[in-house]
Amino acid sequence: MSPVTARRAIRVLRPDSPGEAVRLARQFRAPYTAGGTWLQPAHERDQCWPEKLVALNASWPAFRGLEEGPDGLVVGALTSLSEMARHLLAREYLPPLAVFLNQVAGPGVRALGTVGGNLIVGGDLSALAMALDVRVDVVGHAGERALPLSLWLRERAPDDLLRGFTIPDCRGWRMSLEKLGYRERFSPTRATLACVHDGVRVRLAVSGEGGLLRLAATEAFVHDQAASAPGDFGAVIDRELAAHGWQDPDLRMALRRMTEGLLSEVALGT
Amino acid sequence: MTRPTQPEICTPERVTFKLNGDVISQRVAPATTLLDILRDSGRITSARAGCRIGRCGACTVLLNGEAVPGCLVMAWQLSDCTVQTVEGLTEDPDFVQVRDALATESALQCGYCTPGIAVSLVSGLRQQQSGDAVDLQEAVAGNLCRCTGYGGLKRAIAVLTEASSET
Amino acid sequence: MELKAQPAMAGTSVLQRIEGRFGYATDQQHLPGLLHGVILRSRHAHARLLRVDTTRARSMPGVRAVVTAADVPGLNRFGIVVRDQPVLCEDRVRYEGDAIAAVAADTLEQARAALALIDVDYEPLVVVDQAETAEQMAPLHGESNVVARDSLARGDSNAAFARCAVIVEHHYQTPRQMHAFMETEGGVAIPDNNGGVAFRVGCQSGHRDVEQLADILGLKPSQVTVEATPTGGAFGGKDELTIQPVAGILALQTGFPVLIHLDRFESCRVGIKRHPVSVVMTTGCDRQGRILAHRVDALLDTGAYASLGPAVLENFLDHATAPLYRIEAYSVSGRLVYTNNGVSGAFRGFGGNQATFAVESQLDALAGKLKMCPLQLRRINLRTVDEPGSRGQAVRWTAPPTEVLAEAAASPLWLPAAADACGRWLTGTGMAMGAQGNGLGDGLPDSGGGRMSLTAEGRIRLEFGFVDYGQNLVEAITCLVCEALGCAASDVDVVLGNSRGPDSGPTSASRSSVLVQGVLATILPRWQDRVRDQAAALTDLPRDELDSGPGGLFVNGQRVLSYQELAKKGQPEQTMVDASQEFPVAPEGNQPVGRYLQLQIATVARVAVDRLTGRVRVTELHHITAAGRVIYPPGYLGQIEGAAIMGLGMALTEDMPTREGRYLADNLDQYMIPTMHDVPDQRVDILDNTPETDPFPVRGVGELGIEAVVPAICSAIEAATGIRLRHLPVDAGSLLSALCAQEEQRL
Repeated sequence: MSPVTARRAIRVLRPDSPGEAVRLARQFRAPYTAGGTWLQPAHERDQCWPEKLVALNASWPAFRGLEEGPDGLVVGALTSLSEMARHLLAREYLPPLAVFLNQVAGPGVRALGTVGGNLIVGGDLSALAMALDVRVDVVGHAGERALPLSLWLRERAPDDLLRGFTIPDCRGWRMSLEKLGYRERFSPTRATLACVHDGVRVRLAVSGEGGLLRLAATEAFVHDQAASAPGDFGAVIDRELAAHGWQDPDLRMALRRMTEGLLSEVALGT
Repeated sequence: MTRPTQPEICTPERVTFKLNGDVISQRVAPATTLLDILRDSGRITSARAGCRIGRCGACTVLLNGEAVPGCLVMAWQLSDCTVQTVEGLTEDPDFVQVRDALATESALQCGYCTPGIAVSLVSGLRQQQSGDAVDLQEAVAGNLCRCTGYGGLKRAIAVLTEASSET
Repeated sequence: MELKAQPAMAGTSVLQRIEGRFGYATDQQHLPGLLHGVILRSRHAHARLLRVDTTRARSMPGVRAVVTAADVPGLNRFGIVVRDQPVLCEDRVRYEGDAIAAVAADTLEQARAALALIDVDYEPLVVVDQAETAEQMAPLHGESNVVARDSLARGDSNAAFARCAVIVEHHYQTPRQMHAFMETEGGVAIPDNNGGVAFRVGCQSGHRDVEQLADILGLKPSQVTVEATPTGGAFGGKDELTIQPVAGILALQTGFPVLIHLDRFESCRVGIKRHPVSVVMTTGCDRQGRILAHRVDALLDTGAYASLGPAVLENFLDHATAPLYRIEAYSVSGRLVYTNNGVSGAFRGFGGNQATFAVESQLDALAGKLKMCPLQLRRINLRTVDEPGSRGQAVRWTAPPTEVLAEAAASPLWLPAAADACGRWLTGTGMAMGAQGNGLGDGLPDSGGGRMSLTAEGRIRLEFGFVDYGQNLVEAITCLVCEALGCAASDVDVVLGNSRGPDSGPTSASRSSVLVQGVLATILPRWQDRVRDQAAALTDLPRDELDSGPGGLFVNGQRVLSYQELAKKGQPEQTMVDASQEFPVAPEGNQPVGRYLQLQIATVARVAVDRLTGRVRVTELHHITAAGRVIYPPGYLGQIEGAAIMGLGMALTEDMPTREGRYLADNLDQYMIPTMHDVPDQRVDILDNTPETDPFPVRGVGELGIEAVVPAICSAIEAATGIRLRHLPVDAGSLLSALCAQEEQRL
């Protein structure tokens, strides 16, 4: 597909079903668009657009809204960020989310932007989703599948369409979120950190400049070695971040201290 | 992506939506922004292209009642939607309340960002009325103002908050 | 005395602004026959232009004109101080915003499509991207990359340094700040039937722009009109010509009105910025804290063109002499160099606030070494109102500097307990002072005129050449007129910004309020005399008993004639009064003559520093201002608050760094100006001891609020953390690593 330089030249394909959307995306190698809040700034910047966009439709079954299912809270990918912030089920399952979302983009962008879009671009929600081990529900060219987010991100096909995700029943878990940006609101994230205690274990994940990462080694250290070698926490998390693309040492230092802060909020309550 | 060298063909589609109470039905390329549709209509000057990437709030309008940046809404998303701009809100009691607070508290200088701020505040007030605990300061977190340092705006919001807590 | 927010004057312009129908330059999209203009910018920071081929572009649909350097009818250069910037580049581009060609077409999309088909061959040249080494590089203009070199000296500083007990020397670096006005550069050029052009644009000086535009367009000044429309912010960034020259050329070529409105990406790339300054300051004092010697060596990067750089350098050096303080000997010097790093020019503060940041930081450093309270050190060194200025010139203060300091010392922001070393947030309070002179400065012609009349409809009309870009000038003029005449605000019309009207000079250098007050002092009584004469003739009432008031003229509290009746029955055209006023400078014999009218500010800042991440929140700001009489309180408050937040941005988040001459941010998602949530509560106090008889009781406060806020924030950060930051904006990472190093030392 050849790119175009003007919005007026973009064709927006309007499939009737998710399956049709996947087929069109595959046939034309065209990106999906829903809220368009990430896609448009990127292309306005370089004035170079994909020739075709595949429009997603929030009225397709299970694509929008929140509901409780047998495995937890099911969230439609086309739910807007502001809908999510307001939703009572979100408040019940994810108590810190509503306040945290004030720091995600601005209110107008949250009204348009979707939770699915945010997850896919490694946005502020992805750290929390990773720490919660959400399962994604994906429509692909070979059919539908459900799998852990972390796995999907590793093997994702370009035409995979995210229908939604399931958050495990996390009511009663303790969780804490923190974003480090350049300013207090409406800032790109430098580092967003999620810390979740599921009653047994602590889970940590980070997104931002260095990319999305579940801090598995740090989690393991917190559980298994903290008692034996308490002084080494900093070295463990620093090594893990550095090994996974977090190049800025000052930012790693900030993350280390933010993690200590969140751990003391979440874990020390046990 | 390599840059194209030839001019491109446009594929207009009909879009029908309500603007300030009037039905608008026109053929337009589907990725055209709502902001451009409004500005090109010749009727709207309150929504402004401050950044074109949804980061300044100067083009904020109400889309189905929610405050959104008009530069991030594409024509294909508009079908059967309701759009309100300041031009269509001048008789609206919420807007009048916001306007009076902004004027009295000198919440503006050059005024270029102000209609967008007013729309965000109207949206915030209405969410409050529908029972949501919305902080009006959060409602304008996406509206940049370079002149005032937000002092007058903070005072205007204090006035609005006091008025709404009395009712 | 705290300046409390007061209800604003509910003028119609305020409602028009809120309702989005105020008529900004870039709102004029529906003029008959309007064409859209776009400008081709350089792809390189520095290159030779080998070929510019417009053939393909000309054949595109809707295209009415494609122009290059060869189409500039007159002088292909502009610039307020040095005319060194091409309207359209001939054979060389010097920054990546340089204009090469332009297109006018029926629609914006057609214009853009054609622009993309202009073929340009470049031969890239070595990029001068380091101000430090620019002098050794091949010159971008003329003989050398040093645009200006300037110095100020007083006494024998070497000898004075030799007697110092304590000397501090530090390097300071300030950011390349962007104005980030919300309305990007734009406007319309409208050809008339006689070969002339009328401009309706956002700008800062219609009259001065006429001169430059006439030269560029090859027209007589009488053929060019500039109407400065309401402007969506300027802050110095619209002082130079922006889109006017190209819009004018396209309008003349096509015979149709041409609108050019830069989008934010282009505005970021093209628009001027605040000069980044790299400066080493060395300052010494005796054991008692008396400052004896001060040395400054500064380097300002003006980018590809001089713009107002030489004047900015001069103002920087003036402020670098530490005008508030008595210093026995100083030697202050600076260089302004060309580079390929964009273009820097006028920006609120105009070099002065960069210097004050370094000066005030030096004072804190001296106090630290002496283990003396920084306020005490200032108290010892502050000038009295009877002393001349730092350059020996006559000055007029509106309050003694020590009183300003005393009010800052009494600020409630000092009261909270010392920094809490255990919690997450380290808090601290700091302060800094600053002084500013109003007016264009030394050696520049500086005067301004105004006009008053009664219109045929019976409106009291005031005309000035100043531009309304949001500084509440209309309200201030209305207040002064109402106060003098006793009339109602609704009787008064204020008309600004037309080059056919009175020339008031540029809307810059905090000069408008001073000139408005001066001009009104002349024209108000003369206008009133004429009105009284006419009213007396119409009513047969004794002339001296007629007083102007709300809606008309009164005798003994009774209205006897409305302004409408007067205009209808009398000769309103006979009431027109013009006057011009020289900007107040030091009386004869004094050198230098500029910066006669002085203003002061002390800013007290309270900050919280996050121990976990190093980020800084400014939690409170308290300003003590001594800037003469307050004409319109909401306007005064808004100017101080707005400028202070601009300074907050400069201290904490704003910078436009470059790599190989290219800006690294191109829109408001990358260039971070403060949001409402980055902004603390502010308090503004007024200290005004100007005597009733003072001929210049009013001062301009447009730039005062940015003067001291940056060093005050840095001082507060030091109070909170013990770490002094001298390179701006504050880098949270560096602050964090310094905090960590400090913690390790303690362990």
